[in-house]
Amino acid sequence: MSTTAVPAAPAPERPMPAITRESQPYWDGLREHKLMLQHCASCGKVRHYPRPVCPHCFSMESQWQEAPLTGRIHTWTVCHHPFNFFFKPQAPYIVALIDMDAGVRINAPLRGTPEGNLRIGQKVRLQFEPVSNEVTLPYFAVC
Amino acid sequence: MAHALREKAAISGVGETAYTRGTAKSGLALQLEASLRAIDDAGLSPRDIDGIIPYFPGGGIAEDFVANLGLPDLTLSAFIPMGGATCVAALQTAAMAVATGVCKNVLISVGRTGYSGARVSTRLQQFPQFALAAEFEAPIGMFAPAQLYAQGARRHMELYGTTARHFAEVAVVTRQHAILNGNVVMNKPLTVEEHHASRMIADPFRLFDCSLESDGGAAVIVSATDRARSLKKPLVTIMGVAEGHPESPASIAQRPDLLEFGLVKAARRGFEMAGVGAKDMDVAEIYDCFTFTVIRQLEILGFCKTGEGGPFVMDGCIALGGELPVNTHGGLLSQGHVVGLNHVIELTRQLRREAGKAQVKDAELGLVTGYGDMGDGSLAILRRAA
Repeated sequence: MSTTAVPAAPAPERPMPAITRESQPYWDGLREHKLMLQHCASCGKVRHYPRPVCPHCFSMESQWQEAPLTGRIHTWTVCHHPFNFFFKPQAPYIVALIDMDAGVRINAPLRGTPEGNLRIGQKVRLQFEPVSNEVTLPYFAVC
Repeated sequence: MAHALREKAAISGVGETAYTRGTAKSGLALQLEASLRAIDDAGLSPRDIDGIIPYFPGGGIAEDFVANLGLPDLTLSAFIPMGGATCVAALQTAAMAVATGVCKNVLISVGRTGYSGARVSTRLQQFPQFALAAEFEAPIGMFAPAQLYAQGARRHMELYGTTARHFAEVAVVTRQHAILNGNVVMNKPLTVEEHHASRMIADPFRLFDCSLESDGGAAVIVSATDRARSLKKPLVTIMGVAEGHPESPASIAQRPDLLEFGLVKAARRGFEMAGVGAKDMDVAEIYDCFTFTVIRQLEILGFCKTGEGGPFVMDGCIALGGELPVNTHGGLLSQGHVVGLNHVIELTRQLRREAGKAQVKDAELGLVTGYGDMGDGSLAILRRAA
């Protein structure tokens, strides 16, 4: 009985963000290596993730401002089981939730520091990783 | 003055399929099989069902129940999009429907091929409530509830000194209870050492901190108390029931306090409606998607203070014969994952004194929680009124 060659499965692809009209300026900012955040044009409060209405004063007008790249560790996890095959070669990888100095949180990989050295409140800085022409993703490194 | 809904509705029927890993049946078939058992348990005919609240997505929708059970006049078809908090929250909707006369008998049901069909970890793409996580967190490698909830668990450990030993105790005790049940996926004893040796999924969650991917169906029927009194089984009333939604409900990352689940709000209202407190409970069925989730909910419910949930579960406190027996059926961790409707069924059986080897002696009052969908919560307090 002859064997039939099984075609190789296509390489798994990174899940990409479905960018919306609300979030476009955030992703445009990352592509330009900036952290752009949405602020209410009426009361000035910052909000993330982007949305059409300010939950504090209900204004639908907003403006985007560049924010500092620094923050502190709020918590983290270490992903061992890759729930998506794309991440299998990277596992285990740390994902840290950061209290940005700008007053919002960013969840992103933390690279260059072993998990045993992490602690709440540690200072980190946002870095940029282009993954396509359109999309640049954030990651963090300890300051 | 007593809350208008207090004890106006009752759990009149419960039913479930075998809980397995592997089945040839569809989710819909499992859901209908469990539903027919619940209808029979109540002593009703399928024609008596006039309200349908199916777990969604997965399994059937109201149209399927009309087609399969020949329902002559369906007066309520509803979804409760709250993930793991759905089933207990559905008790509130059902109670409102039967107390007002909109419905006579509401069927809440789940049918799931979580092992043999679409795996649970593919859910992120199905839920509209997960759109923010899909846009901002999936690209950086966060997909599954195990990962998204792990960060809250890690923070609890760092702030309060909660440990993997505490997590293990929940897993081990839950397994002990499962073995007494008979209809469970995991029927071999589990040791603390085996828990600690199981592979890491998303730190701090190891394999045995995670609930099962399993196949099965479950169903309960809610009827007006006056109607349920004349049905087949001992009367079990809904004293209090509530759902709660946390701040930043679609994004854990942006929630001011990651450990402030929707149950904080639901517990306040649920206990108030019932007119009883945590100390009055004889048994508790706590939504256990992860071991840590049980520990944190025990704190929120007031069985202990925030930060003391780890020590609270130790030394037999949550085992049968202990101060507060928890998950006397084996829960999602060891019995099967039917989104916590098995918890509602177990509490009903405890209060009917039908719980077999796991029976809590003289159980009169108990509570059941739901948790899911990034932190939504629900609570029901049931009473033996027979």
